[in-house]
This record gives sequence, structure tokens and C-alpha cells, in this order.
Amino acid sequence: MTYKILVVDDEPDLEPLVLQRMRRHIRRGRYEFVFAHNGIEALEQLEADPNIDMVVSDINMPRMDGLTLLEQIPNVSPDIRAIIVSAYGDMENIRTAMNRGAFDFVTKPVDFDDLQFTIDRTLEHIEQWREALSTRDKLVALQNELDVASKMQQSILPTSFPSSPSYKTYGTMHPAKDVGGDFFDIIRLENDRIGLAIADVSDKGVPAALFMMSSRTLLKGSAIGTTGGPGAVLTEVNNLLNEDDTTGMFVTMLYAVYDPATGVLTYASGGHDAPLVVHPDGTSELQDLTGGIALGVLGGFEYRHESIQLEPGDTVCLYTDGVTEATNQQGELMGIEGVQVLFGSAPPTSAEQAGVAIMERVLEFTGEAPQHDDITCLTLRRD
Amino acid sequence: MAISAERESGTVIAKADGRIDGSNASEFQADLQGVIEDSDKALILDFESVSYISSAGLRVLLLTAKTLEGNGAKLALCSLSEPIREVFRISGFDNIIPIHDSQAEATAAIGG
Repeated sequence: MTYKILVVDDEPDLEPLVLQRMRRHIRRGRYEFVFAHNGIEALEQLEADPNIDMVVSDINMPRMDGLTLLEQIPNVSPDIRAIIVSAYGDMENIRTAMNRGAFDFVTKPVDFDDLQFTIDRTLEHIEQWREALSTRDKLVALQNELDVASKMQQSILPTSFPSSPSYKTYGTMHPAKDVGGDFFDIIRLENDRIGLAIADVSDKGVPAALFMMSSRTLLKGSAIGTTGGPGAVLTEVNNLLNEDDTTGMFVTMLYAVYDPATGVLTYASGGHDAPLVVHPDGTSELQDLTGGIALGVLGGFEYRHESIQLEPGDTVCLYTDGVTEATNQQGELMGIEGVQVLFGSAPPTSAEQAGVAIMERVLEFTGEAPQHDDITCLTLRRD
Repeated sequence: MAISAERESGTVIAKADGRIDGSNASEFQADLQGVIEDSDKALILDFESVSYISSAGLRVLLLTAKTLEGNGAKLALCSLSEPIREVFRISGFDNIIPIHDSQAEATAAIGG
């Protein structure tokens, strides 16, 4: 690549001298020189030509001297570095120039080998600086993207939890440091029934957040519109997600419908962990999987559902793998057994207490170990 | 995570090991693409030494299966540890990717 160097000097003989002495580098395309005769002209050129990489400037010049120019350069081109040319032994001006941000200096009469060495050193510094800037910009862009994804994820979570004298619901999510893909939803259906959904999108970042938004919207639409059960809902959502997908993204989802009139919970799993039912005495059972595949993988798949009877005092816990795959500092997984042991000694007293207790258990188990996945649970207790 | 592969009459047998998660899924994908050739008829992935696979890893398998399908080729897995087998069972991925107990069994199934 060719570096463009602006030489600023009121001495008319300097231009041909520079072109002569640097001719080999110019011919090889390493340097290109442009010239100005004072600080004002230099600033005009810098403003007009964003491709100038560095400045070599004399100090004593009419209209605007080199020291004033040094002060002004950052206002025009903040990333430009300057070398100052001063009289031999003029320490005062050299000190001033360095204090005003000059990268280096050479002394008169100009030794062109030294000048070339100093120019190269400066250009090398500029390269490193630009690389650092671009890395920082990439990091900032990435961070912005993650912030957007995180806000999208937070924005779709319900903030109020349906309840009635006969049941309560609760949901909570502890987001991973680097945005994950969990979400949950609670949907009011006809005849006082409610739909409970918990899901985990296979990827992170904005594309995953968009996939999450569309999954959630499709689920809500299908859940409210359908006359079929949870299996039919997942079948429909899956077909829609598969319509023109080439990203390979998928979402594991458990969708359940609770009917408070009967206490029956009907659920279908699309590649998601099975529900855990905890009884008032602290015993618990992991329910059967319904054999469904994660949504977005295989169009046309027919999802099945199962029904279970909840008795008064029973709590059903839906959760993501942030719970079961919580890992402690020794590298051990907590598993759903961790939750079962917890409730074995302290049975849930409410939907909210159960959700909070699971979350606390997971955070206690992982301790200082880094958390790579969202931790999410959704609970319903029949009172 | 590392991959080693050998090819016999159009069937590639590749061994993966360690953890396959969000931090190395794209590397895993690139490695798999690197071992597959257009003329291959099947890819058998030996998961004996895989200790963990996250959904990001499953996604790579899904994309690989689709790529192979586009070439008229098949993907199969073999020698999964019990916890890994469980991941495939819960996620339902055993519905789309055949899982075999051993390389021999997978080779026989692909051949037949």
C-alpha cells in the first residue's frame, strides 16, 4: 500500500530534494508526497484529502508555524501523526512540539536516511493504531448487537402472571452474560384455560433473537387460533418455521395447556426437557417426553401430546437446559435431580417460591463458574 | 474438539472428541465441511469421545445432514455415550439422524 505524506515547509528547494532523495520509495509505490508551504495550506490540504497518512512539518513558517499546526491537526484529522523538523539543538521547540503531540522529530540539515527511518517508524505506529481502532470498533459493534438481542429477548417476557383462586403461575429468567436464546410465555386461552410455553433457541445474537421473536409470535397466534391441543399447535408452528428456513436455526419448546376446571395439564414437547411435577410432600416425577423433535428442523412432523392430572398442591415446573446443565466449578452437571433433591427437603409453597427456589439453587450450585446459558423456569401450582 | 477422518469406498468415518458447544461450533462445522467431498455417499460420525454437545452443535449436525441430503448422501452417528444419547432423545434429533451403537453397525446400515 502507498502511504501519502504531507510535507510542510516554506523552503521552495525542499520539494525537489525530497522527491529526488525518496525517488526509489516513490517509484516502488511505498510513499506518495504532497506539499504545503505553511500551516494554513497544510490544514486546507488535510481537510480536502482524507487519504493523507502523516505530516512532516518545519517549525518556522509564515502565516501559521509548525507548532500551531500541530495544535490544529487533531481538529481536522485526529488519527494523523506528525514528525517535526527543527534546527539542530533547538530543544525548546522540540519539547513544545512533542508536548503538542508530535510523534517524533528530525533535525536540520535533514539527513534523508534518518528521515526515511523516522517516517517508517511513524507509519508502523499508524498501522498498529488503525488495527487497534478497527478491533475496538468490531468489539463495540458486537457489543451493540448483543445489547439489541438482549433487549429483544427481555422485551418479549411476560411481566404479569395469570392466577386465580385455584392456581398461580410464575416465570423467571436469569440471562447468560453473552446473550442466550431462552424465552417463556403465558397465554390466556378460551374458557379460562392458560397456555404455558418455554423455549430455547439454538443460537445467540440478533439472528437468534429474531428467530425467537417469530417463534413466540407464531406460537401465540397458533395457540389462540387452534381448536386442537398442544401437539397440533407445535405441528403448526413447526411447519411455519420450516417454510423457508435455510439458517439451520431451531428452537426447543414445551407447550402446555392447563385447564383449571379439571386440573388437567396437557403438554407437547418439541425437543424440550420434560415437565417435572412436584407433590406437596416433596416427592416428584419427571414426566414422559412426547417424542417431538425441536421446531424448525423437520417440516411436516406430527407432534403428540400427553395429559397429566394435577392434584391440589401439585406444582409443575418447566425449565430450560440452563437448569439441568448448570455446571459447578468441578465441572459436574446439576441435572434435574438437583431440583428434585431441593424440593425433597423443602416442598414448594407457591408457584413463585418454587421458581425462585430453583433459580437460587442453580446459582448456588454454579457458584463462581461462568454461566454460558440462560437459566429459565416457568411454574404453575394448583392451589 | 478435534476431528480425524478416514474414507473407504465413498463412506467417510470421522471421529470427533471433547465438547461441542457455542464456542467451537463454527470450527466443528468447518471441519465437517472439510472432510466431506461431493462424491461421498455417507458420513458416519463416531461420537465415542464426545463429552458434551450443545444446541449449537446440534445445529451444525442439522446443517451437515441437509448438505449431505442435497448431495444424495447420508449422515449417521455412532458410539454415543449415554448422556449424549439422552441429548438426542430429548431434542428429538434421533428422529432425523440415525444413531448406531458401533461403527460396524453404522457401516452395515449405510451399506444396506
